[in-house]
Amino acid sequence: MEVTVLVQATDKAFEILEKARNEARELLYSSAKLTSEAKSLAEKREARAFLSGAQQSRLAFRNFTITFFILFAFWILLSGRFDLFHLTLGIICCLLVSYMSHDLLFANTRVGDIRIMVRRFFSAGPWFLGQIFSANLHVAYLALSPKMPIDPQIIRFTTKLESDISWVALANSITLTPGTITVDIREGEFFVHALDRKVAYDLNTGEMEDKIAHVFMEADHVYVQDVLDVSRIFGALK
Amino acid sequence: MTRVTDDIIIRAVARVMIPFIQLYALYVIMHGHHSPGGGFQGGVILGASFILYLLTHGLEEAKIRMSEIKAGLFSSFGVLIYSGIGLLCLILGSNYLDYGKLSTILKVVPAQARSLGILGVEIGVGITVMAVMFSVFFDISTGGELPEDEE
Repeated sequence: MEVTVLVQATDKAFEILEKARNEARELLYSSAKLTSEAKSLAEKREARAFLSGAQQSRLAFRNFTITFFILFAFWILLSGRFDLFHLTLGIICCLLVSYMSHDLLFANTRVGDIRIMVRRFFSAGPWFLGQIFSANLHVAYLALSPKMPIDPQIIRFTTKLESDISWVALANSITLTPGTITVDIREGEFFVHALDRKVAYDLNTGEMEDKIAHVFMEADHVYVQDVLDVSRIFGALK
Repeated sequence: MTRVTDDIIIRAVARVMIPFIQLYALYVIMHGHHSPGGGFQGGVILGASFILYLLTHGLEEAKIRMSEIKAGLFSSFGVLIYSGIGLLCLILGSNYLDYGKLSTILKVVPAQARSLGILGVEIGVGITVMAVMFSVFFDISTGGELPEDEE
């Protein structure tokens, strides 16, 4: 008897609570709808949906121009003739190729300033060269020592990188470093053959991956650029 | 039927390489009268770039870029350029593909007219070779079956 009363009482209490919550929610919604801010938000969203087409075409145009200039530099490198006729031919050919495949060269690039990427790429070069040099010495030591203390193993790790081109960059820099070879990439999981324990340990620390992420502005390095941009704006304001 | 490769490295590297391969092919075609190469070689390289795209990205995506109909049109268009230049020389009163006579139309000295004529012929040959290479590979990869809407 007492139990049923108790249950009924709690039920009622819950019901009242629910009703109050619904009322509060409805009130909130209606007030939010009534405010002009919500209206402008909806308008903004519509405008963004409308603009995305224009943005897409702007992005395509940017890709087209960048591809054109890269290809034209390549053409000049190949041709080596600077008379008007050959330069005109080069411009026509570059326009043709950029028209045919401007979406290929920068298919999966993420948002990010390409100038920063290029600068970071060249500043990361010496580190990679040093890494290759030290790995060379290590592999030479392994090969020359009479005991040959190798310990071949295949290690597997999941990368934090996101785009295909950075995966390829990581895979190729792993392969370029003596002692390690990328065997396969499956869904962001790397299979790497390592010659001995030290090499595998060096790879597992993830320093190389971090460098690549820094160059391509991915994973946790994407925010660094935002900070940089804000600082630039503040500098301009001063 | 060609299967799409699932190797991300091959796909990404092919994607980056293809514009440069195409530009190199055009370079070989355009500089055929100065250096080794010419229409056929450049056309083969250009066709190879499309074949590489087909191998790495699959038949469906390659069709968007270069369909069977387009390949057929290009192959006959190249022959049209070639034979058109040849017949133009014939109409102007010299032998077939004797470019010296083109100087009357192009308003240049005969030597330069010969150079330009050879360039035009090589462009035609390049287009045809590219399209034929691609359509041969296309036929192999589809097993010779045309889709219904393209018959």
